[in-house]
Amino acid sequence: PGPPEGAAFPPARYKPPATETNPALEDPTPDYMNLLGMVFSMCGLMLKLKWCAWIAVYCSFISFANSRSSEDTKQMMSSFMLSISAVVMSYLQNPQPMSPPW
Amino acid sequence: MKNLYIFIAVLFIPWSFSLAKYDEFEDGDDIMEYDDNDFAEFEDVSEDTATESPQRIITTEDDEEEATVELEGQDENQEDFDDADTQEGDAESEPYDDEEFEGYEEKPDASHSKNKDPITIVNVPAHLQNSWESYYMEILMVTGLLAYIMNYIIGKNKNNRLAHAWFNTHRELLESNFALVGDDGTSKEATSTGKLNQENEHIYNLWCSGRVCCEGMLIQLKFLKRQDLLNVLARMMRPASDQVQIKVTMNDEDMDTYVFAVGTRKALVRLQKEMQDLSEFCSDKPKSGAKYGLPDSLAILSEMGEVTEGMMDAKMIHFLTHYADKIDSVQFSDQFSGPKLMQEEGQLTKLPETKKTLLFTFNVPGSGNTSPKDMESLLPLMSMVIYSIDKAKKFRLNREGKQKADKNRARVEENFLKLTHVQRQEAAQSRREEKKRAEKERIMNEEDPEKQRRLEEAALRREQKKLEKKQMKMKQIKVKAM
Repeated sequence: PGPPEGAAFPPARYKPPATETNPALEDPTPDYMNLLGMVFSMCGLMLKLKWCAWIAVYCSFISFANSRSSEDTKQMMSSFMLSISAVVMSYLQNPQPMSPPW
Repeated sequence: MKNLYIFIAVLFIPWSFSLAKYDEFEDGDDIMEYDDNDFAEFEDVSEDTATESPQRIITTEDDEEEATVELEGQDENQEDFDDADTQEGDAESEPYDDEEFEGYEEKPDASHSKNKDPITIVNVPAHLQNSWESYYMEILMVTGLLAYIMNYIIGKNKNNRLAHAWFNTHRELLESNFALVGDDGTSKEATSTGKLNQENEHIYNLWCSGRVCCEGMLIQLKFLKRQDLLNVLARMMRPASDQVQIKVTMNDEDMDTYVFAVGTRKALVRLQKEMQDLSEFCSDKPKSGAKYGLPDSLAILSEMGEVTEGMMDAKMIHFLTHYADKIDSVQFSDQFSGPKLMQEEGQLTKLPETKKTLLFTFNVPGSGNTSPKDMESLLPLMSMVIYSIDKAKKFRLNREGKQKADKNRARVEENFLKLTHVQRQEAAQSRREEKKRAEKERIMNEEDPEKQRRLEEAALRREQKKLEKKQMKMKQIKVKAM
């Protein structure tokens, strides 16, 4: 069975929707999480706050989970590496365990 | 009576002994040792002390007994107890001598005088304590990360299974209706890949084309973000369901000019606000479809009544009634341009491009807890889509309807032009000024003074001409007005 006669030949090709022209259609979560992750890693490194570094790790994981396939893996990896390095540096400088805020 | 008193006294002596003993052992000695054999210890104590202690005990016991036991005469009791106690006192009360009590009282004073130097307890830093327990926050964090990763893997796999279950169910119907099923746009030739296009861990695309009437059909399986733990937790508060969105792009000649939508009231209200075409052409609120036999949950938004009449034929009503719980919205529009674009004031100079489109949004049953089997229940909806494509091709407005539709479109365009009139004027003005400035600069840059003078004169003449023209126009308008 095939389509009835009269169909256009060759059939129309798939064109990915142009999301650059309409940014409202895109989900902003991975970009926000990426940025947040970087901010927290910098805070963790500069201010030597362990909890900042841990939150940065979480942010980079969340950004990865929400990312689109067209997203650059290099950016993802760099954000992830930065957050891991923030955690490691905080512990090297101050091996004491993290104290809870309460 | 006397015998009764003796019996009570006998009972009370061991009780008071035990109380006194507990006082002595307050500092934490094991009391358990002394439950039954309380008095074994005191058997070896010498007789000398024994004589003194009974009196002391008697007096203390007297106090207790006077307080607890109601006796007729105290003197009488005292005598009785004296007799009774001396016998027992010998055997049981040796340790409670004065010396022992004195020593006991003095001991705290002695200990206080000795301990003048305070004891400082140094806090061992936690990381030197060599215990993993002090790192409990870190362990919690790592556990959280592991849980996130586990959820990512499980969610990703579930979405994948659901997508493939959907595709397997619908493959046959799609392949019988479309020449090209599955295309990612990258290959040189138009060959069916026969596979879904994975855009995300939760969005899958499928492009089908090669059918009469329509240019192509894009199916988007918009699953819930099961791979993101945050989203999973958020969904526990606010349940949502997976959606299947189908966008059919029609050929220009295959669809007449109308805008029509049917769906749940909530969805239509939202679409009316968001979608460019629905907001411009369907200004009324969503109406109930009860007139056509539709369930109460569904409402209709239409450009004109004729379109609704034409669209609501028996088969369509059958589809809508039977699958009302799975339908979120159905939109047929010749002016489809997507959601309203939020642009700045100065940039909106022309209308967005429109395409003749049929847009279907279906909810997957299960409200989040879907299983691959639920995908089979969506198959009739695909049949509805195919039917709608043919229907849209067949349905034509009559003369009146066409006139109304054309008028509506002209009206919308005019409104748009009015809105942008100011912007367009400003744009034209700025262009003119730009030209003048460029000319002036040219004149200034001209080195030859003769040429400069001539150019200046030419520019002046042009200005004068323009002014004359304007004046003429004003005169004409005045004359006309008169």
